[in-house]
Amino acid sequence: MNKSQKFFVGLGDKTIAFFTNVYDMTYLLLQTIKALPRLWFYRRQLIEQIYIFSVKTLPIAAIIAVFIGLGATVQGTYQSSDLLSRAITVNVIFKSTILELCPIVLSLVLAGKLGASLAAEIGSMKISEQIEALETLSLDPVGFLVMPRVVAGLLMLPVITIFANFLAMFSSFFVSAVISEWISPQEFYSGLEMDFKTFEMYFGNLIKPAVYGLMIALVGSHFGLQTSGGARGVGESSTKAVVISAILIVIWDYYLGRLLL
Amino acid sequence: MIKVRQLYKGFDGMPVLKGIDLDIHDNETLVILGPSGQGKTVFIKTLVRLIHPDSGSICYDGEELLTLSHKQLYRFNDRIAFVFQNSALLDFLSVQDNLQLYLLMHKAISPRDLQRRTLEALHFVGLDDDVLDKFPEELSGGMRKRVAIARAMVKRPQYLFYDEPTTGLDQTNAEKISELIKMLKKEISATSIIVTHDIKLMRDVADRVALLKDGLISFVGDRDEVSEQMLDFLYE
Repeated sequence: MNKSQKFFVGLGDKTIAFFTNVYDMTYLLLQTIKALPRLWFYRRQLIEQIYIFSVKTLPIAAIIAVFIGLGATVQGTYQSSDLLSRAITVNVIFKSTILELCPIVLSLVLAGKLGASLAAEIGSMKISEQIEALETLSLDPVGFLVMPRVVAGLLMLPVITIFANFLAMFSSFFVSAVISEWISPQEFYSGLEMDFKTFEMYFGNLIKPAVYGLMIALVGSHFGLQTSGGARGVGESSTKAVVISAILIVIWDYYLGRLLL
Repeated sequence: MIKVRQLYKGFDGMPVLKGIDLDIHDNETLVILGPSGQGKTVFIKTLVRLIHPDSGSICYDGEELLTLSHKQLYRFNDRIAFVFQNSALLDFLSVQDNLQLYLLMHKAISPRDLQRRTLEALHFVGLDDDVLDKFPEELSGGMRKRVAIARAMVKRPQYLFYDEPTTGLDQTNAEKISELIKMLKKEISATSIIVTHDIKLMRDVADRVALLKDGLISFVGDRDEVSEQMLDFLYE
C-alpha cells in the first residue's frame, strides 16, 4: 500500500469510527432516557453523583470564577474609552461573563476533571469485569452507572454555574468598585441593570450548563463503557472523553447561541 | 437442567466455540476443564449471556435463554450467580455494600434480615465481621475471592457459575476455595458449573467433567472416568 492509499484508508477508518461513536452515544442517550423511570431505584447512586458533581467541584469552580471576574474586569477597564459610560463597560463585562466566559470555561475545566475521572472509573470497571458483575446481579449498567451521572451533570452544572457567575460578578465588583474605585457601586449596579433580559439569565445560568453537564457525563460514560485492554485502554478512554467533550462543548456553545439568542 | 446445542462463537473471524453440545443436570457440579486460551471463559459467559453467541441454543429448564428480552434477562439473572476470575467486587463499595447490593436493590427485606444474611454469608466463607467496612483493594486475593463467593451465596441462586476460581491463589487458598465450593453446593443445593485448568480442583469438587478442546467438548463423563492420559492435552 502506497502513502496516498494509506492516507485514504486511514481517513476512511477515522470516518467510520466517528459515525460509530455518534451512533453509540445517541444510543446510550436513548438508553439513559429509557432508564429514567427507574431513577428512584438508583437513588443512592444519584445522591453520590450529585455530591461528586457539586460539593467536590465547588473549590475549583470558585477559583476559576473569581479569576474570570477579575480578568474580565481588568480587560474591560483597560479596553474602555472615555467616550463610553463606565456603566456600559460593566454591562459588557457582566453579559460576556454570564453568557459566555463562566459557562464555557467552567465546563471545559470540569470536562477535564469530571469527564476524565468518569471515563477512567467506568473504564477500569469494564476491564475488571465489574460491569458484567452488575449484570449478573440483575442491575442495568446504564441505569446504575450512566443515568445517575447524566442526571447529576444535567442538574448540578447549572447550580455550579450560578454559584460561579455570582462569584465572578462579586469579584468584578470588588476589584472595580472597592479596590480601584474605578466605578462607584451605584454605577456598577446600574451597569448590571442596563438592558437586562431575563431569558439571558436562563440561557447563561441554566440552559448552557445543563447541556454541557449532560455532554460531559454522557461522553465520559460512553468512552468508559468502550474501554478495552488494560491500563493503557483506560488512559486512552480518559483522554478521548476529555478531548471529545471539549470539542462538543465549543461546537454546542456556538449553535446554542445561534439558535436561542 | 441446562441444554446447550450447537453453540458457536467467534471473534474477528476466529472461531472460539465450534458447535458445543452439552447437558448440565440439576444439582450437579460440572467442571469444564481445558487449557488456557481455548475459550473456557467465553463459554461460561455465553451460558449466562454475558457474551452473545453467533448461533446455537441454550435452554434452562426448557426456556431458551438467547431469545429472552432485556427485561426477561434481568429476571433470569435472579436465578444465577457468577464468581468471576478476578472476583469483580465493585471497588467503590465496601465489602458490606458489595454483599448487600443485590438484596437492597431487589428484595423487600428488613434491615435485621439483611444484616443476618450478610453475616451468615460472610461467616460461611470464613471471614470475620471486621472485613465488612473494608474496601476490596484492602483485601488479599484469597479474601476477595471468598467475598465474591459470599456475594454469590447471598443471592441463593439456582445456578452457580465459577470462572477459574483458584487461578492466582496459593495452594492453601486454592484448597479453601474448593472446600467452599463443596460446602456451598450442600448449603444452597445449586447446580454448579466451574471452568478451570486446575486438575486438583476438578478432582476435589466435580461430579462430572467436560473436557474443552479446540472449541469443542471432547469428553463428558463422571470424574472417575477421567484418566491421566485424557488430561495430557492440558500440558500440550
